[in-house]
Amino acid sequence: MMTMTKMNVAMISETAEPVMPPAKSVCMFLSDYSGWLLGCGATCIRLEKNVQRIARTYGKRAEITITPRHVHISMIAADSSETFTTIAPVRRVPVSFNTITRLSRLSWEIADSHLSLEEASERFDDIVSDDRQNKWLVLVLVSLANASFCRLFGGDGAAMAIVGIATMAGYYLKQCMMEARVDLRLVMLACAFVSSVLGATDYLFSVGTTPQIAIGTSILYLVPGIPYLNSFSDMLNRYYICSFSRFMDAVVLTGCLSIGLCCGMMMMKIGMF
Amino acid sequence: MELKIIEDALFAAIAAIGFSSISRLPLRAYPFCAVIAALGHSLRYVLMNSPECDFHIFWATVIASFFIGTLAVFLSPLARTPAEACFFPSLLPMIPGMYAYKAFGGIAACIFNDNPETFNYYFYQFAYNGLVCVAVLFGMVVAATVPVFIFKKISFQATR
Repeated sequence: MMTMTKMNVAMISETAEPVMPPAKSVCMFLSDYSGWLLGCGATCIRLEKNVQRIARTYGKRAEITITPRHVHISMIAADSSETFTTIAPVRRVPVSFNTITRLSRLSWEIADSHLSLEEASERFDDIVSDDRQNKWLVLVLVSLANASFCRLFGGDGAAMAIVGIATMAGYYLKQCMMEARVDLRLVMLACAFVSSVLGATDYLFSVGTTPQIAIGTSILYLVPGIPYLNSFSDMLNRYYICSFSRFMDAVVLTGCLSIGLCCGMMMMKIGMF
Repeated sequence: MELKIIEDALFAAIAAIGFSSISRLPLRAYPFCAVIAALGHSLRYVLMNSPECDFHIFWATVIASFFIGTLAVFLSPLARTPAEACFFPSLLPMIPGMYAYKAFGGIAACIFNDNPETFNYYFYQFAYNGLVCVAVLFGMVVAATVPVFIFKKISFQATR
């Protein structure tokens, strides 16, 4: 009799439904998760898919509103017995596909391995606090990339070398100003100014045969490509508000870098065309 | 021509690696990005410069972007990154930066020129380059994103 009871208890515990965390906890976790994912440059469709996947795993349904600076999440229990709503700010962090990749993987781990909310929160904290880069390596790679860009636009060897140096100086300034938490618009303006002044040396000293390409490409590393691509991607998926705000952000940054470029060219007394 | 194509592929790959580092791509995805960018950009080069094709920058970019998007969808499970993480840095070397530069230059020149003829010339520069820039950007993103939705199951499960 005793053995039978033990067996029954064991069977019950094996087949029992896992305890679902309350809507409030899931909602708080997901609002933090969404703020980081969107801040790192994820598209809205990815955010919605990841959040829905995690919510489903914890027995909830999520309704999401994505606005330019905040994410609004309502968490509803499967039986509609509890509802909780939070509004989280979108994190102001640099674009990071590494974090997006790891956060997306976390959503699959939660769904496939049924991680508890505590475990998921711990892993989330590890991911967002561990996204370091070797800034010197990035500086060299960006300089080489922009010099290659110059070549793709038809620049000669001298133009490539000058663009490489102009990019290195401008990007180093960007890294310093970002560390000092200077406004991004001012950073763009200052970096474009420095890079265009250095890029103009090809024109002033007649070093090569393609000075106009050197000046034009010296600031292209600053073009906010990811926000432009994200805004069109969001538009395709009908997230119009977010799409428009990302597009406007990118336009403002492009405007700032253009002002920096114009100031640089005016100072060096070089015509635009 | 062959040498030019190889050169284009090589510099596109270097540019993609550099832009990958700006957007903090996971290290293991760099080679995939470089290969995708090299193949995509050289395809665009062939479409625009070979006498048989001689495509406009818009159509050449659209076709190359579709190719990049498709490659990224099938390579992203190997790189274990989302498809867009693979194709965004690969698309960046195709962003029509010179058109954007000339469009903004046109605006600046318009502001400082009150002679109607000169103003018209610079306004034309602004309008033409701005329109081409926006159209190419739009075509590029649409073409690269379409494969993500055609092969939805593969692209959204790449990090699984």
